[in-house]
Amino acid sequence: MITIFKNKRDIPQNMEYVELNDIYFNQNTALKLDEKAEKIIETIDGAKLISKFKMRSKFNDIVLDVDKLSSGCKTVLNVLYNPEKVFCLKECGNNALEILFGFQAGNVYSEYALIPFEMDAVSVQTSSEKKEIYDYEELKEWWSYEE
Amino acid sequence: MKSKPIIMEHFFTVHTSFVLDFNFTSNITILTGDSGTGKTASFSFIKECMALNPDIMCLNYLDYQKDIADIIKKAKGKLIVIDNADVLLDDDVRKYIALDDKNQYLIIGRNPKNLFTTKDNLFELASEVQGEQTILRIKSYL
Repeated sequence: MITIFKNKRDIPQNMEYVELNDIYFNQNTALKLDEKAEKIIETIDGAKLISKFKMRSKFNDIVLDVDKLSSGCKTVLNVLYNPEKVFCLKECGNNALEILFGFQAGNVYSEYALIPFEMDAVSVQTSSEKKEIYDYEELKEWWSYEE
Repeated sequence: MKSKPIIMEHFFTVHTSFVLDFNFTSNITILTGDSGTGKTASFSFIKECMALNPDIMCLNYLDYQKDIADIIKKAKGKLIVIDNADVLLDDDVRKYIALDDKNQYLIIGRNPKNLFTTKDNLFELASEVQGEQTILRIKSYL
């Protein structure tokens, strides 16, 4: 399950935090894309990956470079291919959040709650504890509570 | 918060097979919604218009190192379009935008904090295919 941080100071010093998902994707994650990315790109952006760096847009079937993926889709792919880093969650729409919250691993940060309507289990981490949460309301409460 | 748009009520542009046809009903329009609906594509089409229209100013993640507060406070008579707003705008800038009576805003993001907005300010994109073109409009989010 993914791990959520709500305070930047809770992110361990040996973990890199990435705020600008667009740039990190374009410079790093795009080079790692494989068949795992196909379904995610299709589900979130409605686009079809047709080669390593090209996709067919849902708008008018135009062929685009993968740098034109949405910021939300780029965030999800950043987390998938770089589970050792922490990525800013703030630019994910609900459709991206639904996929992200189903991952087996990965780390995200936002100081305010961003929860998909459907969720299973996540891990939340502060400087004092790490625990698992299985419920939307409980997660919302954890995110809202200032420590 | 409902306040009439002070710079433009209508924005229209064509970018090859895309048409943007936006009607603004508030001075602050927050464009939100699912990922992959065309928000950043719309931003790029509006940004192209900056070259010809002095009333448009565009900011996005490429301006991350700049003093966004200073840029906005110096602006007058602009439609200020901000993509990646959730990482670009801090609380102080948001409060300034909420009370700014010199400029109009199109903010692409999901966090309405400190903008003093209501559902009247929240919009999402609606796309419609007409022939070989895709028309993008904004519609109420809630």
